[in-house]
Amino acid sequence: MSKYVFDLERSARGLRLNRFLHGLIAKESRALFLGNPEEAMKGLTEAEKDMVRRLDWKAMQDYGASFFCLEKLARTKGVSNPQMVAAFRGETLEQFLKTRRVPGAR
Amino acid sequence: MARIIGGIGTSHVPTIGMAFDKGKQDDPDWKPLFKGYEPIAKWLAEKKPDVLFFCFNDHATTFFFDHYPTFALGVSDEYRIADEGLGVRNVPPLKGHAALARHVAASLVADEFDIAVFQDLALDHGLHSPLTMMWPKSPDWPGRVIPLHVNVLQHPVPTPRRCYKLGKAIGKAIASYPEDLKVAMVGTGGLSHQMIGERAGFNDEEWDREFLELIERDPERLAAMTVEDFTRRGGNEGAEVIMWLIMRGAIAPNARKRHQNYYLPMTTAMAVALFE
Repeated sequence: MSKYVFDLERSARGLRLNRFLHGLIAKESRALFLGNPEEAMKGLTEAEKDMVRRLDWKAMQDYGASFFCLEKLARTKGVSNPQMVAAFRGETLEQFLKTRRVPGAR
Repeated sequence: MARIIGGIGTSHVPTIGMAFDKGKQDDPDWKPLFKGYEPIAKWLAEKKPDVLFFCFNDHATTFFFDHYPTFALGVSDEYRIADEGLGVRNVPPLKGHAALARHVAASLVADEFDIAVFQDLALDHGLHSPLTMMWPKSPDWPGRVIPLHVNVLQHPVPTPRRCYKLGKAIGKAIASYPEDLKVAMVGTGGLSHQMIGERAGFNDEEWDREFLELIERDPERLAAMTVEDFTRRGGNEGAEVIMWLIMRGAIAPNARKRHQNYYLPMTTAMAVALFE
């Protein structure tokens, strides 16, 4: 199995960060995060805040973020799934889209 | 008595719902997908099932990892549409069939499937991104849904065999409901895709074609595979197709595939198939 499989160990490690990301399904939490990110992130550790501030998708994934919780942050910040996938692959969006059959379908 | 009139297997990619909401039916990039759902919509309009029994997964929206259920059955008369970060889709709340759902819950527990149940929760795209492709949302949904959430996100996830057996138990439960109802089973997910790690963007059309054959002709062979097998062949997230096995277990063993469409534009192979 891939080292990225979201198992109970990874889930425990990422729980605090994932809880923050999951919270963005509430409109009020998104508004707070967009208007005053430091206040919205006050429950996170400094290392976690840093990854969120930089929207470092790969670092958050490696740390223990669930892809499906990262999607909530991506939607809040207007980032698409192909952009996240490109980041995991270490590519730019343009490079990634060149590998797709219908690059416009997004 | 209630009876199962057939089954549908379908992807539940969120972009399917987004393409629908943006009216991309005639956009050349999306047309092959929409065309593929037309025979399904037609079949549902003709057969008029009272209930669609949806085997789907929540995407860490309604349920979070502080308590993520393995199998959870919705037993309400209504379900709101969940906000997943973009606001709520402009579709009406889903109508549930509480009476049949309660019967299924009791029957499953009697059959040693100790499922969780939930009431009055909002549901995410795992259910309604394919639903809007098949069923008209206005003026209101033509029938009711029963949602069954399956954990395919946080390992350990249930085995393919367990899913297949659960499907058989659901089939038995529905067949023992006294009211005359027509039920169609829906299994969602897949096909091949991987969203994480260095292998993000992975697909395997050969495996997808094989899966679409086996789910019709030899589901037993799929049930004998491990989740690791599914992950290797179809990608980390593609292993969610084990939910098609619940649908397959519930419908008639000799059901045959009446329609199939396959479209792989971006990261996820989008498939839809009808079994009767």
